[in-house]
Amino acid sequence: MRTAAELNYREKGIISEIDYSHPSSKRIMEHGFTPGQTIELICKSTFNDPIAISIRGTLIAIRKSEAGCIKLK
Amino acid sequence: MKIDTALQVPLITLVGPPNSGKTTLFNLLSGKNYKTVNYPGSTVEYYTSRILPKYNIQAELLDSPGIVSLLPESIDEKVAVDSLYSHPTLGAPDLVITTIDSCQLSRHLLLPIQLVSSGFNVIIVLTMTDILAKRDLKVSENRLSKSLNCDVVAINGRTKQGVDNLIKLINSNLERIKTAEKKNILPHSLIENKTNLLDTFKEIEEIVNDVYEPIKVDKINLKTANNELKVLQDGSASNGFTPDEITIKIDRVLLHRFWGFLVFLLVMGLTFTSIFWIAQPLMNFVDELFTNLNSLVLENFEPGWLTFLISDGIISGTGSVLVFVPQILILFLILGLLEDSGYLARGAMLIDKPLSKIGLNGRSFVPMLSGFACAIPAMIAARTIPNRKERLFTIFIIPLMSCSARLPVYALLIAYLIPKDNAWLGGFLLGGIYFLSTISSIVVAWIINKFSKRIFSDEGSSSFILELPSYKIPKINAVINHTYNSSKQYILRAGPMILGFSLVLWFLTFFPNINPQVEKEGLTTEQIQNLERAERLEHSFASDLGKIIQPFMTPIGMDWRIGVSLISAFAAREVFVSSLALTFKVTSEDDEEQSTLLNSLTTAKIGATGEKLFTVATSIGLIVFFIFALQCLSTVAVSRKETGGWKIPILQVFIFTGLAYFMTFLTVNGLRFFGVQ
Repeated sequence: MRTAAELNYREKGIISEIDYSHPSSKRIMEHGFTPGQTIELICKSTFNDPIAISIRGTLIAIRKSEAGCIKLK
Repeated sequence: MKIDTALQVPLITLVGPPNSGKTTLFNLLSGKNYKTVNYPGSTVEYYTSRILPKYNIQAELLDSPGIVSLLPESIDEKVAVDSLYSHPTLGAPDLVITTIDSCQLSRHLLLPIQLVSSGFNVIIVLTMTDILAKRDLKVSENRLSKSLNCDVVAINGRTKQGVDNLIKLINSNLERIKTAEKKNILPHSLIENKTNLLDTFKEIEEIVNDVYEPIKVDKINLKTANNELKVLQDGSASNGFTPDEITIKIDRVLLHRFWGFLVFLLVMGLTFTSIFWIAQPLMNFVDELFTNLNSLVLENFEPGWLTFLISDGIISGTGSVLVFVPQILILFLILGLLEDSGYLARGAMLIDKPLSKIGLNGRSFVPMLSGFACAIPAMIAARTIPNRKERLFTIFIIPLMSCSARLPVYALLIAYLIPKDNAWLGGFLLGGIYFLSTISSIVVAWIINKFSKRIFSDEGSSSFILELPSYKIPKINAVINHTYNSSKQYILRAGPMILGFSLVLWFLTFFPNINPQVEKEGLTTEQIQNLERAERLEHSFASDLGKIIQPFMTPIGMDWRIGVSLISAFAAREVFVSSLALTFKVTSEDDEEQSTLLNSLTTAKIGATGEKLFTVATSIGLIVFFIFALQCLSTVAVSRKETGGWKIPILQVFIFTGLAYFMTFLTVNGLRFFGVQ
């Protein structure tokens, strides 16, 4: 299954679930990453990490290691 | 719970997610007449204020750091949440006002829902309604109020439209609370878990689908508004709006893989240049002002311990506090502009990867940047880092950032090393020192990171999730206001400490030999005074101390006089220069050409051997010493406060000062080995 960390530049995806075992999962959900939401990868940082994802009308910068627990449909 | 409620005014606490317009509302209600209060037991601070008299509400207003939810991560957030449930001195709030960005309902509604379910009396203030209006939409206050079961009011921060309604709501709520039974407030951690969070978001999505409505202006607008609305309510689509188009366009450049980093380096370069070049004339002005004041006192009063206490102790001490204010002002101003424009979050994102390699975090970036002005505000800025280990580590390496107090020392030694007509070489050398100190702090951080488990005994999971707010033109007024307050905080916090240590230092250099006997024949008053100073210092407590450390100074080619100056530099680094002036103007033999400090340095010789004291090797050695050494007692004090113990500050002093000594030893002897004296 693909995760948000594997999105290509300007690619969209729909969240299927969040990996609850990840220590940052609560924080990720609090920022609005919940199943059913459409996300889009807007930019990548110079070193490819962190990435900027559009969610619920805003941009969130997130490390790839943490974006990895956002599973996509 | 408060017992004497009748005597006290009600407490209203302001909470809200970051970037939701909370501070704007606070300023609107308090009229910027706020005071900063420390949260007992920590140094995290928030603002309290009475509500402006014109609103006719007797209540205390409390501002707190921004939070996304009632389950805190960073120390900042923890304080915000703790102060909500029960503030140690003010008690629990009677009323909670929460600001919500009306374009961000689908994210920001989480907090008010948690607040209501915890049992707080809540008023929701909808902000950024003007931006929403540009999309020809508005939020139905009625429907939102019904679905959340609390009062809702929309406010335009610029035109102040809606403030009257808010005041009415506050009044009616306070009236109701007065008569109603006090509700039981449940800590949110008890009623929330992960599945609940998902349910809450489902609830939010339903509410969001229901509360947006078009502004009825004319048919064409209604059509576009309905289109926007359709996109919004289209179940599977992004529940909310798409991010600001202009922001995404700007980010294509500013977060571009190549251009992004280049712009970042350019912004940082400009920031530094302005900190140093704009501040320099202002700092010279402050410096001259206090030097003149000092001589004024010396000229007009009988020489005696009281006169010297006032001139060398109090006036010079105050001067050494205030001389940094221009730099701090400019740093806070630039940081404020960068933050308000939305760029600072991008900077943190761009630098996160390199910093994570040495055990730090993108959020360490702002504290480290502030460290180039002064370590004290920098350590306080580290509070926004959620991970404890990363926060402590950031605080740990902040003293390695080349703070502005080192600048006068570098300037003096560079002026000594380089002929006056070669100004560009001096500038080049100064740039080189900053470059070297940055590189070496990275290397040191990398090495310390290897031992981080032993030092910080706390790993936790590293995290970097940061909202990138839409770009906007900074509100100059708010930035200036914030700059003023932060600078005031710095002066109040660091000022007494630096002044206190200056006084101790003055005492050590002045006593016990208060009235030295010197040959007065054929000398001017000034020469007599200088000789007296020299004599006094020679037999002072400071010199006793200096002579104890002489054995440590010899291996690095220096003597007790530099030792004393180094010790005095612990009060604040720039004291090194004035202390050097005090010791050297007066202890070298020739009294013909002693007018300037540089000349006296040139003629200074090591007592025992008669060798020249300030050689190229020892001068470079001193620069190296200042790059590494932690010689700032105020920094140690703040480090203790911020880390909650003595372990980290003590390690910092020993590791950095030991390293400084070792590196100086290597430099001086290495240079000598290669024939540079």
